Amino acid sequence: MTMNINEMLYTLCSVDGVSGDERSASQAALEMLRRFTDDCYIDNFGSVIGHIAKSGKKPKLLLDAHIDRVGLIVSYIDDAGFIKVGAVGGPDRRVLAAQSVTIHGKEKIKGTVSVLPPHVKGGDSAVKIEDMVIDTGFTKQQLSKIVELGDMITFDCEPTALIGTRYCAGALDDRCGVASILCALEMMSGKELAFDIDVSFTVQEETGERGAKIAAYDLDPDYVLEMDVSFAKTPDSDRAKCADMSKGVMIGIAPSLSRELSERLICLAKENDIPYQLEVMGGETGTNADTISVNKSGAKACTLSIPLKFMHTPAEIIDTEDVMSTARLIAEFAMKGGADNA
Amino acid sequence: MPELFEIIKELCAADGTSGDERAVTKLILSMLPDDCEANVDALGNIIVFKKGEKTPKNKVMLAAHQDEVGFTVTYITDDGLLKLSAVGGINHEVAVGRQLHFSNGTVGVIGGKAVHQQSEEERGKPVKLDSLTMDIGASSKAEAEKYVSLGDCAYFESNYTELGNGYLREKALDDRVGCAIMIDMLNKPLPYDVTCVFTVQEEIGTRGAKTAAYTVHPDYAIVLETTTACDFSGNDGEKRVCQLGDGCVISYMDRGTIYDRELYRLGFDLANKSDIPCQTKTLVAGGNDSGAIHTSVGGIRTVALSVPCRYLHSPSCTIKKSDAESTAKLAYEMYLALCEKS
Repeated sequence: MTMNINEMLYTLCSVDGVSGDERSASQAALEMLRRFTDDCYIDNFGSVIGHIAKSGKKPKLLLDAHIDRVGLIVSYIDDAGFIKVGAVGGPDRRVLAAQSVTIHGKEKIKGTVSVLPPHVKGGDSAVKIEDMVIDTGFTKQQLSKIVELGDMITFDCEPTALIGTRYCAGALDDRCGVASILCALEMMSGKELAFDIDVSFTVQEETGERGAKIAAYDLDPDYVLEMDVSFAKTPDSDRAKCADMSKGVMIGIAPSLSRELSERLICLAKENDIPYQLEVMGGETGTNADTISVNKSGAKACTLSIPLKFMHTPAEIIDTEDVMSTARLIAEFAMKGGADNA
Repeated sequence: MPELFEIIKELCAADGTSGDERAVTKLILSMLPDDCEANVDALGNIIVFKKGEKTPKNKVMLAAHQDEVGFTVTYITDDGLLKLSAVGGINHEVAVGRQLHFSNGTVGVIGGKAVHQQSEEERGKPVKLDSLTMDIGASSKAEAEKYVSLGDCAYFESNYTELGNGYLREKALDDRVGCAIMIDMLNKPLPYDVTCVFTVQEEIGTRGAKTAAYTVHPDYAIVLETTTACDFSGNDGEKRVCQLGDGCVISYMDRGTIYDRELYRLGFDLANKSDIPCQTKTLVAGGNDSGAIHTSVGGIRTVALSVPCRYLHSPSCTIKKSDAESTAKLAYEMYLALCEKS
């Protein structure tokens, strides 16, 4: 049975899992991972770990993507029953006005990010997150029975297939990276592999790559492929800093990544007619690859990024074909390996 | 006939921006009882006459507008992205970063470069539509044109949600609530003849009301509306404008009208007599069909009765259900009083 990419994304993006409370997302991803291995679990820190191939004789390849999403956290309930919030990760505050949110308290309740109309607000500045309040329609007394300080808040967005092969949802950063690994596992299923393979869907990437630090220590990989999202071009963005949506997986080249690994992946993409683009970064990559590559004695890492529009807003967009080209490249590398280990 | 909130739910789910109210018009016509005589004028206003048990001393007209704010497609780029223009006064930050839909079901998101790529200055500025585009999933102009044409309108997602203690959140409550109150009234036996007008193009300059008032030429007009409330935390005193839960808003002045003082006082007298919660606004702002009506055909004495509404002109218009009921009751008392007024 092949997994339908849209159904996978729907399931993965429908669960919450803001950084620091990823339980429901980790559980959903773990269920999907069980199709490929019984040797999988949620670690002490909340990350999903799976051992796919474990001969003990081959070099170890880790396939990682982060499971957390950006959101808000309840920091105060005022006397009138409005909720004050803090940012978790870096949500784009300019698009949150009048946004529908879900507060994950003892039960899930809906709220709205309040916004003043322009004629009352005046001025020309976007509201800061610390100045926002969430309107639930409950009194403080009622709310206190449902919501506690520290409860997480997600932005509502019904995951929706757009026309063509594009898909719109919240948390595509980085649930589409998780999906690319699952699709790759399906492609390599039953095939001869060049590595012992571990999978991790790590927590708290958005707050500083913390889950990856812990998972990497436990798994101690030799090679790492980090599947995350990166910037797809929009007309107002700097062309030189963006990739084209729908033009394939972005292979990373950066001082913090392994140059041999980048070159090997480019070579494999060419040989197998996998559409790809290069993502050149001047220092670190801003992904878990930075953390995992300096784990213990070090690992050779490369990023495979999926172009995404409107990152850290409630409604992100990707092309599912780019997820598939990412998955194909992961599978090719897992099966064929690199020049120095084949 | 369904109860008031069922009517509101059905009306809000229909899409009708100013200038293209046809779907709403069709729905309203289908909700009118057989004993009404309904005509649609050249602009699209529905003018409904219902015979009561008696002929009133004065001809009374009730008015509410059919149209809602939205967006219209002005250009399609070679890449298949849409440029949009707002129809009516929309604070752009309530529309960017979330799904919008076209009447044929096509979904898209307006956005621009990621928060990570914005300068510190850009992050602090409210978003503006000019530099942003909508992605519907198309990768070329030709593909986009299969789904969307110039002039098509994009709408906030409809999502009727009950919140907290009797609050209701939905797009287009402005002014489908007013329309629903009139439909509800027309479906009951009435003591006096009445004319109800469902106007068009209110949001782009109260244009429909001009012709409707001319055609009907009533002695008195009652405008049923929603009005801005800012009664959430962070705003004090007069900045709260009016308060959800405190009943129907009777206006003394807005940007389009200085209301008839006698009718303004009559509103409070009637409310007190019948124990209907009511209030007024503490800010002279906004405007509604009253502005067009009260200066028509030599002058028409006009009163505006409004349901206080948070986050007006956003996907998350929020009212308290009890205020809609109070407004409906007071509208009925006002209609009786004006019919009998000597």
